[in-house]
Amino acid sequence: MARLSLGQSHDATAFSGRNKVARAAVLAGLMMLFARLLLVQAVRGERYEKFAAVERVSKVRATAARGLIMGPGGDVLARNIESHRLEVLPRRVKPERVQPVADILRSLLDMTDSEYKGLIAELRRPLPPRRSKPLVVRRGLVSTHCPYDSHRLELVGEVNYSFCRTCGRTYEQPPKRHICPVDRKKLVPSGSGDGLHCPVCAREFLDKETCPYDDTPVSRGEHILHCAMCGRTYNDEVARLRSHLHRLPEARVRTEIQREYPYRYLASHVLGYMSRVNRRDMRPFVEGGKSRFSLNDHIGRAGLERTLDAMLRGVDGEQVLVRRRGSEEETRDLEDLLEAMKPRPTVPGLSVRLTLDLELQRVAKVAMKHVHSGAVVALDPRNGKVRVMYSKPSFDPNAWSGRLTPEIKARVDASYFAPLLNKAVHPFPPASTYKIVAAAGAIEHGLASRDTRIWCPGHYEYGGRRFRCYKRQGHGEIDMVQALERSCDVYFYKLGERLGLERLEQQARRMGFGEHTGIEIRERIGRLPTKAWYDKRKVRYFPGFALSTAVGQKDVTATPLQLARVFAGLARGGHLPDVTLLETLQRSGQPIPVLGRGKGRSMGLRPGTLATLHEGLERVVAREYGTAHRHRLAGVRMAGKTGTAEAPQRARKGMPKSIRRWLKEDHAWFASWAPVEAPSLVVVVFVEHGGLGGAVAAPIAKRIMTAWFKAHPELGRPPEGDRPTYGDDTATYGPVIPPPSALRTSTLRPRDRGPP
Amino acid sequence: MSLARRLREPSLIGGVACILLICGAAIWNLWFVDSLRETSYHRAQTTWIVLGLIGAGIIAGMDMHFFRRISGTLYQVLVLLLLVVLVFGREINNSRRWIELGPVNLQPSEFMKLAMVLVLAHWFDRRRSSSAWGLRQLLIPLAILLIPVGLINRQPDLGTSICVALIGGCMILYEGVRRQTLVGLLLLVVLGLPLAWRFGAVHTYQKARVQAWLALDEDAVMSRRTARASQAEQALWAVGSGRWVGRTTADARRSVLRHLPFLHTDFVLASWAELTGLLGSLALFICYGGALWWALSIAHRARDRFDALVAVGVAALIFWQFFINAGMVIGLLPVVGMTLPLMSYGGSSVLTVLLGCGFLLNIALRRTNR
Repeated sequence: MARLSLGQSHDATAFSGRNKVARAAVLAGLMMLFARLLLVQAVRGERYEKFAAVERVSKVRATAARGLIMGPGGDVLARNIESHRLEVLPRRVKPERVQPVADILRSLLDMTDSEYKGLIAELRRPLPPRRSKPLVVRRGLVSTHCPYDSHRLELVGEVNYSFCRTCGRTYEQPPKRHICPVDRKKLVPSGSGDGLHCPVCAREFLDKETCPYDDTPVSRGEHILHCAMCGRTYNDEVARLRSHLHRLPEARVRTEIQREYPYRYLASHVLGYMSRVNRRDMRPFVEGGKSRFSLNDHIGRAGLERTLDAMLRGVDGEQVLVRRRGSEEETRDLEDLLEAMKPRPTVPGLSVRLTLDLELQRVAKVAMKHVHSGAVVALDPRNGKVRVMYSKPSFDPNAWSGRLTPEIKARVDASYFAPLLNKAVHPFPPASTYKIVAAAGAIEHGLASRDTRIWCPGHYEYGGRRFRCYKRQGHGEIDMVQALERSCDVYFYKLGERLGLERLEQQARRMGFGEHTGIEIRERIGRLPTKAWYDKRKVRYFPGFALSTAVGQKDVTATPLQLARVFAGLARGGHLPDVTLLETLQRSGQPIPVLGRGKGRSMGLRPGTLATLHEGLERVVAREYGTAHRHRLAGVRMAGKTGTAEAPQRARKGMPKSIRRWLKEDHAWFASWAPVEAPSLVVVVFVEHGGLGGAVAAPIAKRIMTAWFKAHPELGRPPEGDRPTYGDDTATYGPVIPPPSALRTSTLRPRDRGPP
Repeated sequence: MSLARRLREPSLIGGVACILLICGAAIWNLWFVDSLRETSYHRAQTTWIVLGLIGAGIIAGMDMHFFRRISGTLYQVLVLLLLVVLVFGREINNSRRWIELGPVNLQPSEFMKLAMVLVLAHWFDRRRSSSAWGLRQLLIPLAILLIPVGLINRQPDLGTSICVALIGGCMILYEGVRRQTLVGLLLLVVLGLPLAWRFGAVHTYQKARVQAWLALDEDAVMSRRTARASQAEQALWAVGSGRWVGRTTADARRSVLRHLPFLHTDFVLASWAELTGLLGSLALFICYGGALWWALSIAHRARDRFDALVAVGVAALIFWQFFINAGMVIGLLPVVGMTLPLMSYGGSSVLTVLLGCGFLLNIALRRTNR
């Protein structure tokens, strides 16, 4: 055996030396593995065990809650609500399941026969390939809040009701005396006379087995929820569907957050509305960058929702969802892991408290009931806060913020009165209300004074054209305050002639026309024509244009809001306020100040000029011949100016006769403030094609003023002593020149603020 | 010394016991893996181990001269088979490594490891050199080594080709290489790797693995947006969750491991480490260490040059597979396709290792007394 044949070259010692090296290498390798094992299992074991317990970690966008918009009293004007909808996934519905699915849904929801048949037909329809859009069976399912007024529903006993599967009407049990239980109106027979109908709230009552409208048998049911606000009864459809969803794997209830405006038509132009982002919104700021929005985001489209969008929106965060092994739901523990994932926190949007006086806004809305189209703006001249901004006709922002139905869209589009347009910030010819510019300009330039008397024969020949006064027989010889009082056109034609277009434009600009008012919604600034402007437009310029412009006709335009600001400036004694809608901003209930609010500016009017304007404007209401004398306030001194703008608009083809007649009417204006001694409210009423300012617009302003002084009687009382009080905002808003009533008796030196 | 006394020698008993313990651990571990996923790898593995043990016994009883004689033929046949595999092989996971022989898939590259051990040992035994080897003398053994390495790498099977190369390299080093030659070869490797990385000799997926390994820091892992962990990360977490003494099977059943596609082969250590913890892993490592120690002591006391080189080759085979695989599972090395000797499921791999152990046994029983 021992065949020792290690060759002569085989160096046994060399081999054994290398063997030692090999053993050392093996040992070193083992030690490395040991060390690593110790690190992995003993030192980091706990941490790795945690990681290993995680089945899935996902980051989900957490949408920030949009800030609320509130009235000054905390009434919510815009809020976020949950909206539920029932969806069926057509791709999951097998042909033999179509009938059972439809049957189950009909047993859970009140579904008319046509809805039921439509659902079956929709489910039977062959699906286009590669598309699996869910079929929305019903939107706005009732859950915990009333779908009419969003009031929280409360549980009552079982209330019987009937439902007609043909016409879809729901009938309540008739009350004992035939009087509507909610608005106490006498009920009238409905349909074939078997049912009862409330003419106010359109509620139907029935105790028979057949529907009075189509004589088909009704199905009986029980409601268990009751709305304390409107008295309607419901069932919790969401809860009912959810409890039956195990029988309907093809269906699901989806919930999303929706913007809701509980006051609907009241302040829709101020609030605006929201809609889903479109391709343009999705475009990133930087080429190739990341979009600020995700596909399902909503964005403010009009009003404050649009301009304050960034503020209301907040910052979307990220939520880390961790799914642990062996557990079904996603949990959010594992702080360690979350720490490592660094989820972005969600910053809720700021809430906004508005200056709007909702009561007054409602009064304005009611006062505008009889006009087709127009706008009301009321400002607090002491601080520029907007108390009323109403534009007629209004629209329901809820309809525009959810899914706009084609019917509503078509109705709004077809309206001749432009419901979506906020007429409070849309320019119109200001007519006679603009005469204050010519009056102020003439005095400031020394071309006329309060006592300049001009003979008005009813017309004025200039440049080969006859400029007519609205009063054919003329006003006779009148001075400036009388001219303002009676709104004499000839007087201001002559002032306009003396001033010329350029100086008129300068004066208007100095007084606050043709510029932004500082309001937080998008506004137009109107137009103050000059010769250069006409030249640019290639319109042949006549010196006579100055005459028309002096009485607020021709091409000059101003928005009701601008006019309100100008009048607030006059009321304050020549200092224009900056207009604002925001009272405060709030972050999680804590108010934070609004920064960057301007202090307004001076109108550059001398006290004497102001005094003349004040006197003239007060006479408009106070004197017998004043154009708004009929609409003076009882017990409160008011100053104002009426305006009747010729607004010839050509009727388009296909317009109904009533619209043609409407278009021929003049625009009615009335701008006013009260009380004269210590102004607390400026009201501007504009009625598009309404007729005479003194006859149409002034009564609306009067109603608003009356309501204001009824709500704030202390503001209507004349102040103690001669000096008017201006509230506490004097300090904030810079120098306030006392009104002329105080000026007359005081020895204040006229301020050196005239034009250069 | 009689055969009976040699059989009772403590080092032999220890070495064989280590190998048998590993076999037992492998079967139990695969049984657990099977229970996770309703497969039956542990039965097949038992069959392979039994076959391998029988084979090892047969080899232990044979004359080493026979293997010396057939080594050249065996090598040529296997090179031919590797060529055949490249053309006709069965493709699994994007690589052609297997030849279908009825019900079983044979992996010639695995057997190439053993053939390489034999053929190199034979070559060095025949051409004895009085001093350490120079580069010119090493051209032929390097060619013998690099032809199959190249072929296996073409499959592609980086793990096995590295393994074969390392086995051959270790044997050459054990033979003794001139210092300047050694330095030259090392320099070649050091300079060659970046060039290979840059000029496309390294596959993209291999680069990705190396990069993943470099990024295996857990903070980096967790701060990724979607925490979908890679196989290596999941294996690491599983190993970590074993902690000191391992988890109960009930806990481990719900572990990350279920999702590892190569749990029964390359990542089999992850399951073992999770089940038995640091304690069990250390025990397993010690078993491997014991077997290697035994193999090297056999090499030390072998009766001739051929036997010594064969023992070293088998030791290298076991060591490198063990080291690279374990290192990869516990995050010490990047992921390469490499089986853990005996523990990983796979007939060819088990047979190769056990037949190698048969050679060790053969040499141990016939060694000289020194």
